[in-house]
Amino acid sequence: MPASDLVLTIAGLLIVCAPVFLLVTFFATFLLERRLGEQTISRLIQGVIAVGLLAGLVAAIRMIFQGLAHYEIELGDWVITPRYHLKFQFVLDPLSLSYVLLTLVLAATIGAFSTRYLHRERGYNRFFVLFAIFLTGMVVAALSDTVETLYAGWELVGLSSVLLIAFFQERPAPPRNGLRVWIVYRVCDAALMLAAILMHEINGAGDFDHLVGNHAWPAHDPLLIGPHFAWLGVLFLIAAAGKSALVPFSGWLPRAMEGPTPSSAVFYGALSVHLGVFLLLRVSPVLDSSAWLAALVVALGLGTSAFAYLAGRVQTDIKSALAFASLTQVGVIIAEIGFGLRYVALVHLLGHACLRTLQFLRAPSLLHDHHQLENAIGTRPRDPAPEWEQHLPASVQRALYRFSLERGYLDSLLDRVIARPFVRVFGAMDRLERSCDRLLNGPDDPDHPAPREGGGRGGDTV
Amino acid sequence: MNFLKIPWLELQLLLPLVGAVVAGSFSSAVRASRWTLGFMIVGMFISLGGLAANVIVQEPGRLVLGQFRLDGLVLPMLPVLSVLHFLSHLGTSKSRMTSQHCVAGLVSMGLTSAAVSCQSPWLFVGILYGMILLPLWDLKAQAQPIRGFVVYMIPVLALLALGWWSYDPLSRIWSMGFLGLALTIFGGIAPFHGWLPGLFQRASLGTAMLLVLPMVEVVGVLRFLIPQAPEWVLKVASVGCLVTAVYSAGMGIIQSDPRRFLAFLVLSQTSLVMFAVMMQSATSITAALCLWISVSISLAGLGFSIRALEDRFGRLSLREHHGHYDQVPGLAIGFLMAGLASVGFPGTIGFVPMELLVSSSAQQGLEFSIPLAFTSVLNGIAILRAYFALFTGKRPVTSVSLRMTLSERWGIVLIALLIFGAGWFSPSIVESRHRIAEQLLIGVGGRAAPAAELPIP
Repeated sequence: MPASDLVLTIAGLLIVCAPVFLLVTFFATFLLERRLGEQTISRLIQGVIAVGLLAGLVAAIRMIFQGLAHYEIELGDWVITPRYHLKFQFVLDPLSLSYVLLTLVLAATIGAFSTRYLHRERGYNRFFVLFAIFLTGMVVAALSDTVETLYAGWELVGLSSVLLIAFFQERPAPPRNGLRVWIVYRVCDAALMLAAILMHEINGAGDFDHLVGNHAWPAHDPLLIGPHFAWLGVLFLIAAAGKSALVPFSGWLPRAMEGPTPSSAVFYGALSVHLGVFLLLRVSPVLDSSAWLAALVVALGLGTSAFAYLAGRVQTDIKSALAFASLTQVGVIIAEIGFGLRYVALVHLLGHACLRTLQFLRAPSLLHDHHQLENAIGTRPRDPAPEWEQHLPASVQRALYRFSLERGYLDSLLDRVIARPFVRVFGAMDRLERSCDRLLNGPDDPDHPAPREGGGRGGDTV
Repeated sequence: MNFLKIPWLELQLLLPLVGAVVAGSFSSAVRASRWTLGFMIVGMFISLGGLAANVIVQEPGRLVLGQFRLDGLVLPMLPVLSVLHFLSHLGTSKSRMTSQHCVAGLVSMGLTSAAVSCQSPWLFVGILYGMILLPLWDLKAQAQPIRGFVVYMIPVLALLALGWWSYDPLSRIWSMGFLGLALTIFGGIAPFHGWLPGLFQRASLGTAMLLVLPMVEVVGVLRFLIPQAPEWVLKVASVGCLVTAVYSAGMGIIQSDPRRFLAFLVLSQTSLVMFAVMMQSATSITAALCLWISVSISLAGLGFSIRALEDRFGRLSLREHHGHYDQVPGLAIGFLMAGLASVGFPGTIGFVPMELLVSSSAQQGLEFSIPLAFTSVLNGIAILRAYFALFTGKRPVTSVSLRMTLSERWGIVLIALLIFGAGWFSPSIVESRHRIAEQLLIGVGGRAAPAAELPIP
């Protein structure tokens, strides 16, 4: 292996191994029943991110100077059978390096902010364990060169996001909202899993290289992509829509604001909400396989953007307003991808993620400043509505207001169409099974009571 | 004595029975429990020793008593079964421990080891009879109704007997039908699953799990059914298994009792294993053999956490948030780890088997893959819902410390190491299972009886 290759391989592996080391450390302390102090955790986080960042910068500089646009790091075949091939492989290219550097920079910012923000908070350790899982997931997903590697990172990001939404677990709302987000995530995970299988069936492997041929992202060999890739594209789009809160899955985004501010910033302002965008950028050759698929991407992006703009206009808390503002931009980025503007989308993503992180972090103190300002001037400054809104008829304004206030009725639509029928059907089956059980075994013994009835209503936590 | 010459299988089969006699001779439950634990630990080392010796020799073990053999199919399962029983015993609280419980645990260990290593159908049938008696004993001891269990198990026993009695190599359709139906009921495949949630609710959780999690019906299907059963029968059975998996996953979401939730989760996962077996391709059987290991370990871990919670707080409901995280964070983490491993979360022992299963189903058609993905989605939702219900919410105030005991701590550490350690060692496990799967398929259609001579991984 030439020296330059060795440097790139080591740098790439260091980026991945650094957060994994953090996870292993936390796991070891759990096994040994030890508790790390705040300062130790803080130093560990800073050290690990610094190592990853340094390795990422070295790799980026090396690639720029060598004129390399694509470098693969193979970890070998994980599982090989004649009909199945599971490979873990990473790639260094403009997309992966940009996203991983963005991840590390923002994680460093959030890490430094959180050590102070959560100082002496119960759950300090828990926050950073979840943060480490998130970081590992993001890095693995960003550098992945196979759909299985991406799926592994994708799942880690999903789990850590949900557990952080439920971080303030003594209150009833955060776990309930966390569960709701988890349901959406699981649906989009299933779409990604099916996409991975379809990719294996079409290509015989899950490598993204099979989509681009010998070209470096975003270029690809058009001969490799046929119209049969359209369904694969649809599955990727569903997965991305769930992760990035695109319509009709947008309802979970404001619910995700239950978590602590740093996690809201890093997940829903910056990184997690862009992971769907990243996925579409990574598989962008598939989107070129059919014109209607590209049109669908554009429509979804613009639809989400319009919805988020309207919903954001009526939000009364700063985090939800910022979340919908993020979603507006995410929709625009998705539309850019649909139009084929891959580099524009990437630059837009990077800039937007940085801006939104800073806005989220500034949000608590901004409110404080705002209140001081209001007290000083003795009145509340008014933000005039855009002029075009005033030209709309009053009935349309009212309808739009209700639509925005109810967040497009998306949550109630999903409840009515999917959740309630599901609970009703399985609840009826449960009641039937319990009746049969009572018929056979008789009523429950009061000394050893059977659980309470009423599974049919599904319980409060469904 | 030469390490390779030690009679590992004989020791594996006899030790639990000797242990049962010894444990039964103590009137003190504490002493009986200590001895049982000792026998189980020795049993674990013996199973590992047998595995190591056979891997070194690279030959199927010799026939023991003319009926049992350590072959490639069973070798990795014996340590898993030992761990399962060890965890079950470790998870039983001192206040509930009795000599009878210790004896039952050791007898179950002996019977399940015998069932998976048994080479003849008639003896397998006899061992199943014995396994079915253990939960009955437990239900009786706890003064719980047994009618529901008996109503399902009498047909199982009758069908097993009929299958054995009508066994004829020339006209095997009837015997295969009887055996297949018996194993279907025993495996809880819908609509014959009604006994399983009831057993989980009424019997002690350890007994219920020790009957279901070893999945001896999988051995029965692999050894006696797959090589001889007509293809259409297996196709129909595979659809039944898939329907059961989806149905149970859906039922798991709406349960309000953790035990019923666990029962449906177990049912869903064991049905997936049976589904993979019935698909009859090398990849699917590889997936089944890997899932068999991962599901047993991970669900044993989940059961371990639920038992420890019940020991502290009694029966809990999933309709409320109980907020037990701060009191027992180790159990919360164990619950989450084990639950997610059972649905194939990345980095855990279940990831590769689940990927293999979904991939092998795609070879049969997307109509199989989509329900599988759906099952995984539903099970994942059910697990996190249960986690939030049990461990989040307003923290209850207690006057005594409810921290994990030392034995629980060791149990959780063992589960964590297996879930993540085996996740890393998946490639070698998959490779060995694939060789076994290929060997098993040589015998499909009655051309041979390969299961008796399966290679050593």
